[in-house]
Amino acid sequence: MRIFASLVVIAVVAMAVGVWYIRGPHPLDFAGGAKVALADYRAGKPTGVPASLEKASLIERGEYLAKAADCMVCHTKPGEKEYSGGLGFKLPFGTLYSTNITPDKETGIGNYSDQDFLNAVQRGTRHDGAQLYPAMPYTSYTYMTDDDVLAVKAYLFSLPPVRAKAPDNTLSFPFNQRWAMMFWSVVFNPDTRFTPDTSKSPEWNRGAYLAEALAHCGECHTPRNLGFALDNRKKFAGAVTAGWRAFNISSDKATGLGNWRDEDLIAYLSVGHAPGHGSASGPMGEAVDRSFSQFAPEDIRAIVAYLRSVPPQPSPDLPAGTAPVAPASHRDGVTADARGKKVFASACVSCHGWSGESPVSPMATLTGTWAVNDPAAINVAQIVLSGTKRHTPDGALSMPAFGNAYTDDEIAAVANYVTARFGTKGSTLTARDVAELREQTAE
Amino acid sequence: MHMATTLTINGEKKTFDAPPEMPLLWVLRDILGMTGTKFGCGIAQCGACTVHVDGKAVRSCVLPVSAVENRTVTTVEAVGSTPAGAKVQKAWLDLEVIQCGYCQSGQIMSAAALLTATPNPDDSDIDAAMAGNICRCGTYVRIREAIKQAASGRQS
Repeated sequence: MRIFASLVVIAVVAMAVGVWYIRGPHPLDFAGGAKVALADYRAGKPTGVPASLEKASLIERGEYLAKAADCMVCHTKPGEKEYSGGLGFKLPFGTLYSTNITPDKETGIGNYSDQDFLNAVQRGTRHDGAQLYPAMPYTSYTYMTDDDVLAVKAYLFSLPPVRAKAPDNTLSFPFNQRWAMMFWSVVFNPDTRFTPDTSKSPEWNRGAYLAEALAHCGECHTPRNLGFALDNRKKFAGAVTAGWRAFNISSDKATGLGNWRDEDLIAYLSVGHAPGHGSASGPMGEAVDRSFSQFAPEDIRAIVAYLRSVPPQPSPDLPAGTAPVAPASHRDGVTADARGKKVFASACVSCHGWSGESPVSPMATLTGTWAVNDPAAINVAQIVLSGTKRHTPDGALSMPAFGNAYTDDEIAAVANYVTARFGTKGSTLTARDVAELREQTAE
Repeated sequence: MHMATTLTINGEKKTFDAPPEMPLLWVLRDILGMTGTKFGCGIAQCGACTVHVDGKAVRSCVLPVSAVENRTVTTVEAVGSTPAGAKVQKAWLDLEVIQCGYCQSGQIMSAAALLTATPNPDDSDIDAAMAGNICRCGTYVRIREAIKQAASGRQS
């Protein structure tokens, strides 16, 4: 009996240590300063809306915060009504569909009380008590204040209700056992609100709140652990999410943001383009269009101040530094992939140029971009497949989608040519890799 | 949103109202009535809409007009007054390159840009520069020959 009891104790302790180890640090633990309760923080106001909106109505404040939290992109299927849900997230074990968060009583959240909404956003618990899958980033939103969450609710409830039922999820066993998410949530959701760090500036605290609680940068840019939760030991070191590479946004000089100037980061977040660093596409393009481009300038600067403080994390799978401008003539430089060169000459060169510096617009310049420097060529292939569109104050610039015009073989060839010519280390994509990338993107 | 835009096209200043994202091709054809430049595919894949911006061949169908402000635009209407353009047009006529003609404004613009950058192109240079200009009639053989003739200055 005593042996049995000892074994039980050892097992429980081992499990606790295992859980503690896998869970790792919280997203703001790296800062290390003394934390105070929000109510006791006097140096500034890290939560809520920027000063210019302080006097705005609850609904207007909620609109700003809903955009800052980027609710719309995931809760809207392209071509359907905003916030009416139904966007499919393709996971290795099935497809999850986002829900309708318009105030429709039958198919949306029209019956949610304030407490129901807080439970969903901060704790991942649905109106009926079921646990949400963490595709809904409630482990980030949990840091939002109650006031801010309820302002978002007020905004959503001001929208016209849309009757739209999301398709049923198609997850396979054991992932279709929603009740099991309860354990995941106990382990991985800190269920705690944002606490300012008194050792840091008010601007840093505002940036931390925006980046962690609202913009949920880590959900794409932080690698995941064994339990599919964020591994904050490698905070912002980059990861592949939904078939796109979210690059390293730690302060690492070789592979992260360490060598970006403040004005580059400000431009990239506010208009989706920074000279010499390329343009935001795919999920980051959507984040810029729907969220960051709507931020007040001081909020963008706060995020930049915060990003600067995240300790460097190397990305060993990416080359350190980007390549210089390629030769102006097609004859010079690498000629690795003859087929890729043919596709590039027919379909790409008129906008991107042989040198990689676009004759059309700096936004189409390939030189210096992280995408062409990725030896896995993930984003290059995705942009070729699905095209891209950048909205700027001067109008929109777009690249057509080639996914239906070229075969997987041709797309692999041109991606390999592009990464070899304009990056430091060429890729070796195959048609099979391209087919897999097609599969992974959200519907 | 419409705004007054001023462009320098074929050496002349033109002022017109257009939304900043309107493709240059639409401005040329629909607003300025310069119909020498053709609409083909609308997604920069056929080359029929090729014009020169600062001397380089670009596809005007995907080029927002806001991107060419303060830059020099040359279209097929005026390319004949450039040295390379004049040689290309002469060779095109000498060798009867054109069949139906729809793609040929674009072919001529790409060929003129090629000869400006590479006065004596070989076959691989011609492939690299002309691959994005598609001709449904299949005049490619004559296009290649005409580019070589224009480069060498020899008469047919």
